[in-house]
Amino acid sequence: MKKTNRILTILIFIFLYIPMAVLIVASFNTGKDITNFEGFTLNQYAELFRDEDLLRLLGNSVLIALLATGVSVAFGTVAAVGIHSLKPKMRKVVMSLTNIPMTNPDIVTGVSLSLLFVFVGSGMLGQRESLNFWTLLIAHVTFGLPYVILNVMPKLQQMDGSLTDAAMDLGCTPVQAFFKVILYEILPGIVSGGIMTFTMSLDDFVISYFVTGSQFVTLPVEIYTYTKKPIQNKVYAMFTLLFLLIFVLMVAMNLLQLRAGRKRETMRSVSRGGIIFRRCVAGLVAACLLVGCGFLIFGNKQERITLNVKNWGMNMADGSDGTLDIVKAFEEKYPHIKVNMSYYESNEALYSQLSNGGITVDVIIPSDYMIDRMIQSNMLLELNFDNIENFKYVDEQFKNPAYDPENKYSVPYTWGTVGILYNTKHVDEADLTGWDLLWNEDYAGKILMIDNSRDAFGIAQYLLGYSINTTDKAELDACAQKLAEQKPLVQQYVMDQIYTIMENEEAWIAPYYAGDCMLMMEENEDLAFFLPQEQGFNLFTDAMCIPTCCQEKEAAELFINFLTDPEISGANMDYICYGSPISAAREHMEDYLATSEIVYPSEEVLAKGTAYAYLSEEITRYVEGLYQEATKLNAFG
Amino acid sequence: MRKNKSVLLSTPYILWMLVFTLIPLGVVGYYALTDPESGAFTLSNLKDLGMYLPVLGQSVLYSLASALICLILGYPVAYYIAHRGPVAQKILYMLVMLPMCMSFLLRTLAWVGLLQDTGIINNLLEAIGIGRLQLIRTPGAVILGMVYNYLPYMILPLYATLVKLDHRLIEAAEDLGCTPAKTFMKVILPLSVPGIFSGITMVFVPAVSTFYISQKLGGTDTVLIGDLIERLFKQGDNPNLGAALSLVLMALVFVCTGIMNRFGGDEEGGVIV
Repeated sequence: MKKTNRILTILIFIFLYIPMAVLIVASFNTGKDITNFEGFTLNQYAELFRDEDLLRLLGNSVLIALLATGVSVAFGTVAAVGIHSLKPKMRKVVMSLTNIPMTNPDIVTGVSLSLLFVFVGSGMLGQRESLNFWTLLIAHVTFGLPYVILNVMPKLQQMDGSLTDAAMDLGCTPVQAFFKVILYEILPGIVSGGIMTFTMSLDDFVISYFVTGSQFVTLPVEIYTYTKKPIQNKVYAMFTLLFLLIFVLMVAMNLLQLRAGRKRETMRSVSRGGIIFRRCVAGLVAACLLVGCGFLIFGNKQERITLNVKNWGMNMADGSDGTLDIVKAFEEKYPHIKVNMSYYESNEALYSQLSNGGITVDVIIPSDYMIDRMIQSNMLLELNFDNIENFKYVDEQFKNPAYDPENKYSVPYTWGTVGILYNTKHVDEADLTGWDLLWNEDYAGKILMIDNSRDAFGIAQYLLGYSINTTDKAELDACAQKLAEQKPLVQQYVMDQIYTIMENEEAWIAPYYAGDCMLMMEENEDLAFFLPQEQGFNLFTDAMCIPTCCQEKEAAELFINFLTDPEISGANMDYICYGSPISAAREHMEDYLATSEIVYPSEEVLAKGTAYAYLSEEITRYVEGLYQEATKLNAFG
Repeated sequence: MRKNKSVLLSTPYILWMLVFTLIPLGVVGYYALTDPESGAFTLSNLKDLGMYLPVLGQSVLYSLASALICLILGYPVAYYIAHRGPVAQKILYMLVMLPMCMSFLLRTLAWVGLLQDTGIINNLLEAIGIGRLQLIRTPGAVILGMVYNYLPYMILPLYATLVKLDHRLIEAAEDLGCTPAKTFMKVILPLSVPGIFSGITMVFVPAVSTFYISQKLGGTDTVLIGDLIERLFKQGDNPNLGAALSLVLMALVFVCTGIMNRFGGDEEGGVIV
């Protein structure tokens, strides 16, 4: 029995540590993919320390964790002393209150806090940005406090009450008695509560995910969006370093505790070591608070304006692979502006984030039909075209578009098509008959489907021969039925995750936006693009707009103007591989892109494409509901 | 006099918890009962819930299964750790804690790399001639992800109960002629019941509400309630329906933990270090 126990324990530890080993090995990998070790390198570590954004995110996480720990420990200890002296009945009530955040699922806590902050902040106080640093801190303190209390309370109960009385008889004031006697007795509880709060706060994803605004983001929340895009190896390098750091800290903590424990056994009185230990801990808590406050006061002191841009993933040249780093170029030209990029996955997600409220965004780049929807919902500001003089370079055919007839709200950014990306190694050319490829049972389990209601319905509509702008509910129901039929064949519903999955050949067929497909084809030469011309395809325009929650309108217009410069637009397209709405930009693009049939299809092909229009709020919600039922809920099964 | 004063120390805390835990739940209730477009009072969000019952059932099933597996795997480990010397206990305890401190997103992602069709395990299987298996995007993969992530939450409370167990009771049982198996069934197991129930709760609650694990390791048929809530808030633009689902999830969790507490005896403060 003992032997099997030991073997099982060893196996469990292997089980617990294997994934971490995988990540650590990946941090030394020259190749991009976690599954394929191509060679040893330390470059990722060098890259990591050059990546200011990543380090800033880590700094944010540590800052929040330190502050949350400091506040929770101080506040929680005082509260625990208070609760301890409550009448038993009342104490029970308070303890069940304390238990609410402990037993409530994180997602409910996150949702409830974010609704509260937006409801009170935006709804009642009229704050522009009701989800910010402070709300994040409040959330972390709220889930940290119970850890402190639950760890301190048992120590208070174990404590001999006559100790305090003795101290006061000997002339201590209650405050002195607290610091000289009680604190010492409950210190182990405080320390363990503090450590738990710190680790929980540092690694918290779910709650932070719901209460984070656009300005102050912590590492785990950003990693969530990273894991949707192809993840960069330097993230694994950071993981490895954090692993080492925490390992060393834990060993040190344990050694200290063992030592203190031994001393205590031998002396059983307020020993010197105890005093030193106590001072160390008090010093640590104070340092946490001080460092945190210091960061707040000095770290936030920026002369520069922050411009919050929300963009699609992989939709602006970032300097990788020898392209122009657009944001850097912009910041060099306008040194008083700092660009803060965040991402959304689909038009619907962007709409959702903006209408949920609580965040500040200055520039967004939605697609045509979504711009129309936002105009109708009063979510966009009119642009001042005096600040966007490069608008003159935009081709006439892109001016005054159907989604913005008087061209008051938008400046086109890119245009492109939606087609099918497939792997030539696994997919038979003869099967490329049209959108029905996505319903081909021979490829069951190897098909990805685009994960947003509008594009998914569009594909079903082309296949069934309906208008993509139909408002006929019977037709829409038929589309949902078609999507439900497809579900058993679909491996996953994806947006940005498509990159990793198609590049490492986990899946073979996926409908997606042409430019992104080009990017993936550059990574894996077996990938090819197919545009189902006979059945029709979506032709979209993405355009830059300024939402009503904007705080830096002038800087936003400068940014839009900058991106509309033909040279910049050309350099940008070199990376993102879309068509530019500025003819002059095409001359600045690399030849293979400027002449590519995928980026710039012929007039004849383009004539077969159609654009989505905004239908109505009712139909939009109806479609979203159907999509949910067909793809997530088996409601049509 | 002193007592009265220190009672006051708890007032700010009580206020804080009221404002940031109870009131937000009230706001969730408010959203659940209003219409997303007009903001008028409606029951339609709650009426739609019937459709979500299969997903809810699936979430409960998966998380119960993973809680049980955690118990079966975690109990021997906790038992083993509790019977080491003090230093070994500290070290092993630390090794159980350590994974909990590392990014759970990345650790789950590592499982994707291990399990996927073109992943590390399948490459190995192919190399030794077994051939590729469908590992990822199965209910098993989701449960594995849950077990992996939440196993420490089972081991720690079990360890805490087992380490406090009075050795003399075991000796007494043995002296009175119990076989080791009988001692375990009659003495050790009954005495570790509080730890078992607190462990099951601590695994069940995060597992039933997760969305990342099922998004990464699950397929199109393993949608969980957390996925839906996340989607409704972040993409579906229907926070009202999302709020209604959150309420259901919360009610479910409170009922389950209530049952657990009844069996496990309500000890104040189940968490330990």
